[in-house]
Amino acid sequence: MKKTSVIFLSLVLTVCFGFLGLTSPSSAKEVAYLSLADYTGPIAGLNVPADMGLEDYIKEINAQGGVDGITIKFIGIDTRYDVARAVSAYKRYSRTPRLLMVNSISTGIGKALSRLIERDKRAQLVPGDGEFQAHLGRSFIWGPAYQDAFAAMMDWVMDDWKAKGKSGAPVVGYVNWDNPYGREPLRGGKEYAESLGIKILPPEFFPPGSLKHDVYLNRLAEGGAHYIWAGGVDPTPTNVIRDAYALGLTRKIQFLNGYWGPTALGIGVHAEALEGTAIVSFFQRGEDAMNNPVVTDLWKKHRGSMDQFNEVYGMGMSWGMTYVAGLKSALEKTSFKKLEADDMYKAYQSITGLKRAGIQGPCAYSPTSRRGSVEVKIYRVKGGKIVPETNWRKAPDAVSLHKF
Amino acid sequence: MRPCGVFDKSYTQDMAIIRTWQHWVILISALILLYLFPLFGSYYLISFMNLLAITVIVVLGLQIVSGFCGQISFGQAAFMAVGAYTSSVLTVKFGFPFWIALPISGLMAGAIGIIGGAPSLRIKGFYLAMATIAIHFVVIWLILHLDITGSFKGLYPPSPSLGGFQFDTDERMYYIIMTVMIIMTYSARNLVRTKVGRAFVAIRDNDLAGQLMGVSLYYYKLLAFFISCFYAGIAGSLWAHLITVVNSEQFTLLHALEYVGMLIVGGMGSIPGVFFGVLFIRILNEMVMLTSPVLAKAFPWLGTSPAAALGLTAFGLAVAAFLIFEPRGLAHRWEIFKASYRLYPFAY
Repeated sequence: MKKTSVIFLSLVLTVCFGFLGLTSPSSAKEVAYLSLADYTGPIAGLNVPADMGLEDYIKEINAQGGVDGITIKFIGIDTRYDVARAVSAYKRYSRTPRLLMVNSISTGIGKALSRLIERDKRAQLVPGDGEFQAHLGRSFIWGPAYQDAFAAMMDWVMDDWKAKGKSGAPVVGYVNWDNPYGREPLRGGKEYAESLGIKILPPEFFPPGSLKHDVYLNRLAEGGAHYIWAGGVDPTPTNVIRDAYALGLTRKIQFLNGYWGPTALGIGVHAEALEGTAIVSFFQRGEDAMNNPVVTDLWKKHRGSMDQFNEVYGMGMSWGMTYVAGLKSALEKTSFKKLEADDMYKAYQSITGLKRAGIQGPCAYSPTSRRGSVEVKIYRVKGGKIVPETNWRKAPDAVSLHKF
Repeated sequence: MRPCGVFDKSYTQDMAIIRTWQHWVILISALILLYLFPLFGSYYLISFMNLLAITVIVVLGLQIVSGFCGQISFGQAAFMAVGAYTSSVLTVKFGFPFWIALPISGLMAGAIGIIGGAPSLRIKGFYLAMATIAIHFVVIWLILHLDITGSFKGLYPPSPSLGGFQFDTDERMYYIIMTVMIIMTYSARNLVRTKVGRAFVAIRDNDLAGQLMGVSLYYYKLLAFFISCFYAGIAGSLWAHLITVVNSEQFTLLHALEYVGMLIVGGMGSIPGVFFGVLFIRILNEMVMLTSPVLAKAFPWLGTSPAAALGLTAFGLAVAAFLIFEPRGLAHRWEIFKASYRLYPFAY
């Protein structure tokens, strides 16, 4: 009994003293970047490669002496997609010297933190929720808003419909997660589609984690859908299309995905089912990403073989490039000693047009825009590969069509 | 906790929770320290204490229904959501002050909890656990589909105010949260010593025997669920007005599982056990959060993401080790310590 008492007392004391004793030392000329990411939860498949890209890019910058001699400290925290953990983590690290940017990887986390970010006069990066553009604040979205990307896909749908020699406008079905993210593309996206004459069927929503989607797909097929937007973060869209393939729907219905649709890595699992699927993306996908030497060189240097390459890695690099450009811009206006998070917020609004090795379109951040870029590309799955279907094209402003 | 040689000489003394003047000194000092904490504690520690206290309230409720009454519930996160949304709707859409919305949130969660607890009248154990999981999903589905809850967009409840004074920072909310936690703890501690508490324990230990003694299973099981959910509702309301934004993603089944885990680590059927369990798991969570960047720095070849995953593995291992070596939880260790203290300097 005494032995177990000692073991447990040691365990408890280790936890308590470890908690109190941990501190994060900082070097003299250093700025910080906090990533509140989901490394072990439901969207880890997206977050892990993205943060790998960012982290490797920062390592490169630091290895080259930093930005004007200032090194960047990357702090990656696993929130497990949990708002409470993320808020707690932000509060823990908010007093980190020169914490200039926080990447809140989840719309829910971004919204929960926005009040604190405003109060601390800081800025944060968030995914594609249009509300951050509709109500301008200190939250910058990574690319175009979800509804903008949906609208861009509707433009392509019209092009495709006409290219098939058909008149009028098609019927589009929509199936997505039953959560805020799953509904966002329709806020403005639906209005845009209808302005083109496209009929959107009553949307189908399913709980995240659903294993089969036959009921929703059959309902959309019976509703006369010519196209179906399969939402969710991969592997969900892949699984939805896998079910559609098993039902024989992919032969008569064109499937569409948002920018968290299948990656080149995931396509190998259900290549046959995904054949022909269209994906709208604001960052380079598949063959495009694999042919971008800036991305692949960094991957090979830090990660080795290209067998496990994931194109989301490039998106993470793009975050790093934006941060470095923001930092340079901020340092042009103020000295390192006076540098504050608010300077970075202002700097992000001044890097309009920044090019990021072609990974994504030119930066669109400005005093009136919180969009990371406004250009998208449509990709198709062909022969088990993701190949570009179009060049970069401007995504319509669907946010302004919705009353938020 | 009594030192060796101190005996009760009256029924009142025997029933007292605080038994000696030393206890009073410790208690009052602890309370003073607790209320003075914002004056010297860092912003992070204050916000951490807020989170701890809110979790303590939720888990106290779970302790009543599961630890004392023996009814397994995985619906605590959903009932917390009911409280959070009730409070948000009342303050945002009907203009109620927080002080009125707070108790109503508890009552609303309690009322929904009675519906959620109804299956306990016919089913037990694993089956009841499944039924409460179903309740969780029903509640979250309703929140997502009702207009009044802001649907998927959520709601933005205001910070509490009193006579023009805004409780709009963690430091200010600290006093409200701590006061509510103390009241709820005091109530729970006393509840389990009453006739109601004894009825709960009778149901937990042997419901048939309890029924034979005249304990109404129907009444007491539903009462346990009501009280448990009342606690969750109050915690939900505090959470909503602390963070000032609520959406369905804040109340997941994973949270419900975590609350049950806290109960197991702390010890079933013990009020101090709630504090031990919450403190242990929350601190472990923070440790995971704090160590991953340190690990990533110490072992650069790991990278940040694997380091974070290693932290999660360590967390799982620690909890598993706990369950294997001390299934009765930390509260049992506390009881052993108290017994040793009472006998000291004698071994037996």
